[in-house]
Amino acid sequence: MNAVTFSDQAMAASAAPTQRKGRLRYHTLIFHATSVLVALLFLAPLVWVVLSSFRSPAESTQPPIPPWPMDGFSISSYDRLENFGQSVLHYSGNSLFVAVGTSMLTIVVSLLAGYGFSRYRFPLKGLAFVLILSTMMIPFQSILTPLFLLLAKMGLQNTLIGLVFIYTTLQLPFSVFMMRNAFDAVPKEIEEAARMDGVKGWRMLVQVMGPLVLPGVVTVGLFAFLNAWNEFLAALVLLTDQSKFTLPVLMTAVQHGRYGSVDWGAVQAGVTLMMIPCMILFLILQRSYIRGLTAGAVK
Amino acid sequence: MNEQVNLQRIQRQAGLCLRRVSKSFGSVEVIRDVDLDIEGGEFVVFVGPSGCGKSTLLRLIAGLEEVTSGDVLIAGKDVTEEDPSDRGIAMVFQTYALYPHMTVAQNMGFGLKVAGRSKTEVEEKVGQAADVLQLNDYLDRRPGQLSGGQRQRVAIGRAIVRDPDVFLFDEPLSNLDAELRVDMRIEIARLHQKLGNTMIYVTHDQTEAMTLADKIVVLRAGRIEQVGSPSTLYDDPDNMFVGGFIGSPKMNFMDGVMRQNGVEVAGVILQTRPITNRPADGTPVHVGIRPEHWRLAEEGKTAVPFKVGFSEFLGGASYLYGTIGEKSCTVNVEREAISERGSVLNLMADADHICLFDQNERRIR
Ligand SMILES: Nc1ncnc2c1ncn2[C@@H]1O[C@H](COP(=O)(O)OP(=O)(O)OP(=O)(O)O)[C@@H](O)[C@H]1O
Ligand SMILES: [Mg+2]
Repeated sequence: MNAVTFSDQAMAASAAPTQRKGRLRYHTLIFHATSVLVALLFLAPLVWVVLSSFRSPAESTQPPIPPWPMDGFSISSYDRLENFGQSVLHYSGNSLFVAVGTSMLTIVVSLLAGYGFSRYRFPLKGLAFVLILSTMMIPFQSILTPLFLLLAKMGLQNTLIGLVFIYTTLQLPFSVFMMRNAFDAVPKEIEEAARMDGVKGWRMLVQVMGPLVLPGVVTVGLFAFLNAWNEFLAALVLLTDQSKFTLPVLMTAVQHGRYGSVDWGAVQAGVTLMMIPCMILFLILQRSYIRGLTAGAVK
Repeated sequence: MNEQVNLQRIQRQAGLCLRRVSKSFGSVEVIRDVDLDIEGGEFVVFVGPSGCGKSTLLRLIAGLEEVTSGDVLIAGKDVTEEDPSDRGIAMVFQTYALYPHMTVAQNMGFGLKVAGRSKTEVEEKVGQAADVLQLNDYLDRRPGQLSGGQRQRVAIGRAIVRDPDVFLFDEPLSNLDAELRVDMRIEIARLHQKLGNTMIYVTHDQTEAMTLADKIVVLRAGRIEQVGSPSTLYDDPDNMFVGGFIGSPKMNFMDGVMRQNGVEVAGVILQTRPITNRPADGTPVHVGIRPEHWRLAEEGKTAVPFKVGFSEFLGGASYLYGTIGEKSCTVNVEREAISERGSVLNLMADADHICLFDQNERRIR
């Protein structure tokens, strides 16, 4: 009799545990609804651009409202883009050269400067750093004319190299700041351990510190690439030769349709093309990039 | 073959010598005029309160900081101006300081690789170190995938692989939990036996210092207070600071007055051992007696009255905290003697174990 009750209790104890379904909370609901709404808001312009780039020639001179093609899909906008001046590939090459050049130069300079500001002591270090940062407060449009004159003096007007120098200069304050933080986040002991191991000079930067600040390098490089890829005003002012145009400048040139009308279709097609490399780059580097922005949060 | 290796090791044991070493950071003098001789193969421990300059002294030896004045000699050679990697030393950091982007094997072999050794040699040396430290199963992992104790072993492995004359440890165990700390302590002691190198070890853990050291260096505010074997420092401290710093619970200090046949504490005369530079009778002194050197007085004999405050039973030992006269005092007693708060015990101390200090806190011998 006793044995039975015991085993009954044992059964009850070993029966399936109470199922918990996770309580439905209103704020999770609101949270998700808001997130979806915000995501849609951000996506809408992109979708708009992509859809309207496929409108037919007749439609494409009209402002893209509504955005979707009314009389069938057509890739004529892309054709017009392709046939403008030299091929669109040529202009993409210009843009790529400027963007890659800017990000490479920015990475090299900010890596060295960040390392110096983080690890070395020199007179007026604090002041120099603040000065570099304070240049971020000057709107670069206001110094475009002197910049243009400077470049002309150096014989770099209307060259892509000149553009790379300008973009790098504009990109550096932020990048040096990022890289200094990245180096600051690396514990001093690691560098000291490397010194014990006999590591010196360049080797320290490349083999020991480099891999540890890689997220910072990726972030800096990506920002430089995107900003140079998308920059318009300086490129418009400095590049006079049509064969030197970068993609944003090409967009303005291509939008002039016949009789002063705006060729919306060609512009949308160009914008769509321009977005692709940025997206690919971002997706590839996403992980390191996000880690870069939180560098220092975790040792 | 093995004997040959051992012989080599013994011949290679390198001593270390500091000559009037000082170090200032700006206007702050952190290490003041330190002279120290360390013989080859010795295990030396630096102890002292936080901020006294233990790490700085170690980093001066390592070459990570430059001395402001003085000389550093390793194996009889002046290395004051040499780079850390040329001094024949290896250092284990408190935070391990492993290279996060390298595997365990790469971490340990990096120094040799930088020195341009062949791949086979690096692998062989790393393999040997991994054997010694039982790291064979982890060679392909990254530091992030290891436990604290394993990381510390990798850090030690990185030091072993460099085959240094002198090992430097800066509080290597303070990031580990209590149990692991004991294990690693024993492992380090075993390593020292096995390798026979000179080792210098910084800690603020009493037990680590006492158990590991051949020689303890007590530092205070950048100066060496005393150098000696653990038992010398314990039995025969040069001053009140060393007496109070070495040993746990601390040495008790009471006010006393010199009398013809001993020293008077709380109205009772305690015998002392013979003193060469005996101060005149009536001179006030500090009397230092360790908790375990008190014992219950026999009935009827003169004794010091000890008023019990509270007691601690730790299994092996029991401590009573209370007062003698006005001064607080700790006493190590048999567990039978644990008494109620407020009760008074009659205590005596052995003449051999009473240390007297003058008003400048220096030992009277
Ligand atoms: N780079 C530095 N610049 C200025 N002062 C320093 C520097 N490094 C150490 N100090 C000072 O030197 C003194 C000794 O420091 P040190 O790190 O050697 O102490 P420690 O004995 O190792 O202490 P702990 O037990 O807390 O590790 C401290 O007062 C510290 O503030
Ligand atoms: Mg320290």
